[in-house]
Amino acid sequence: MISPGLITAALIERSLNHLLLQSPGATEALRRHAGRSVRFDLTLAQYDCRIADDGCFSEAVVDAPDAIIRPTPALVARLPFFGREALRHAEYSGDPALLATLDRVFKQLNWDVEADLAPLVGDIAAHRLHALGRDTLAGIAHTFSAFGRNASEYMVEEAELMARGVDVARFNHAVDVLADDAARLDARLRLLESRQPLQDAHPRIA
Amino acid sequence: MDKTTHFGYKQVAESEKAAKVAEVFHSVAAQYDLMNDLMSAGLHRLWKRFAVAQAGLRPGMKVLDVAGGTADLTRLFLKEVGETGTVLLTDINFSMLREGRDRMLNEGWTPPTVQCDGERLPFPDNYFNCVSVAFGLRNMTHKDQALAEMNRVLKPGGRLLVLEFSKVWKPLEPAYDLYSFKLLPLMGKLIARDAASYQYLAESIRMHPGQEELKTMMETAGFAKVSYHNLTAGVVALHKGFKV
Repeated sequence: MISPGLITAALIERSLNHLLLQSPGATEALRRHAGRSVRFDLTLAQYDCRIADDGCFSEAVVDAPDAIIRPTPALVARLPFFGREALRHAEYSGDPALLATLDRVFKQLNWDVEADLAPLVGDIAAHRLHALGRDTLAGIAHTFSAFGRNASEYMVEEAELMARGVDVARFNHAVDVLADDAARLDARLRLLESRQPLQDAHPRIA
Repeated sequence: MDKTTHFGYKQVAESEKAAKVAEVFHSVAAQYDLMNDLMSAGLHRLWKRFAVAQAGLRPGMKVLDVAGGTADLTRLFLKEVGETGTVLLTDINFSMLREGRDRMLNEGWTPPTVQCDGERLPFPDNYFNCVSVAFGLRNMTHKDQALAEMNRVLKPGGRLLVLEFSKVWKPLEPAYDLYSFKLLPLMGKLIARDAASYQYLAESIRMHPGQEELKTMMETAGFAKVSYHNLTAGVVALHKGFKV
């Protein structure tokens, strides 16, 4: 039997602690909760850890955790790249004081890519690689955004496969007006129908 | 009459096993690293790095490397714990320990090295954050006692890492047997000039408990949340357990 949890747990522990150590004040804030336990509930697996004396997370055996964090697997996958952005969408439950600290700490997490690259390639190359990576990611995001806009414009304006938002709203409004008119007409017809027997009871005299 | 235990496929008196294992390692110590590289095609370096990555070490932590021999793991641990941390290299065999100590000195490390028996560790209770034993448990006479000792010296919450040969994936067994019993002794004869020691290596691997058995042994010794990961189709397995 292969235990996939071993690699996942080590990856989470190392990633989290790496981010904590790179974020000023993060370990200091968590140190106040040393010994408390936290469970990261990843749906398919659970990562239990304790806050160590140095303010880092240490994998541990935990029966009843003091706090539970439920990030989706998608958020965890984004963790090394987006840090706080990934974890801010997670669900939190447990001890309010610990949760408040965790929330504050996660919001200030930041991955200093440049600092990690510097020992490998040198300061200048690290700065340029980081800038290149950041610009490339921004370029990719811009390209996808532009592609999306162009595709929607084609489908709406050229191929007329989709309606514009304003047209849909106008149509919805027209449907509402029509529904109101139909309801009024229906009410009027009912009223007329209810008067019919009265006319039959008093026929006109020629 | 003295109890017996296995030494490879042979049965020997328990009191004799340590001396026989010592003979093996005295004989191979000088060529140990070269043979490791040749026998595993360098894979042992990756297995060891994987083990260290599971240790969850941070600067300032205390680590005990049991049966650390030529200090492969110790040197990796030292990089993780930094100047404020401590890594203790231990081995029962002086020849192996001397190789490890000299290698570290040559690389500028000066960690403490202690010659001691893994079954009777001369360290206080609840002292280390992490204890590791890589390719050493197999050679110990009383594995249960050694695991209990490792549990004793660990701090609550500390973790034990056991990197050891294990049961290979069934379809690969014939090829693995051929390699172990034919090629290994030949390599040992040609390079280390000691075929018998490498015959013992192959036999001792077969006699060592498999993945699930070792997991149970660790749980019996008091470790919790014991899990393992097979490396290279089960040629080697890394077991991890926590002291509670």
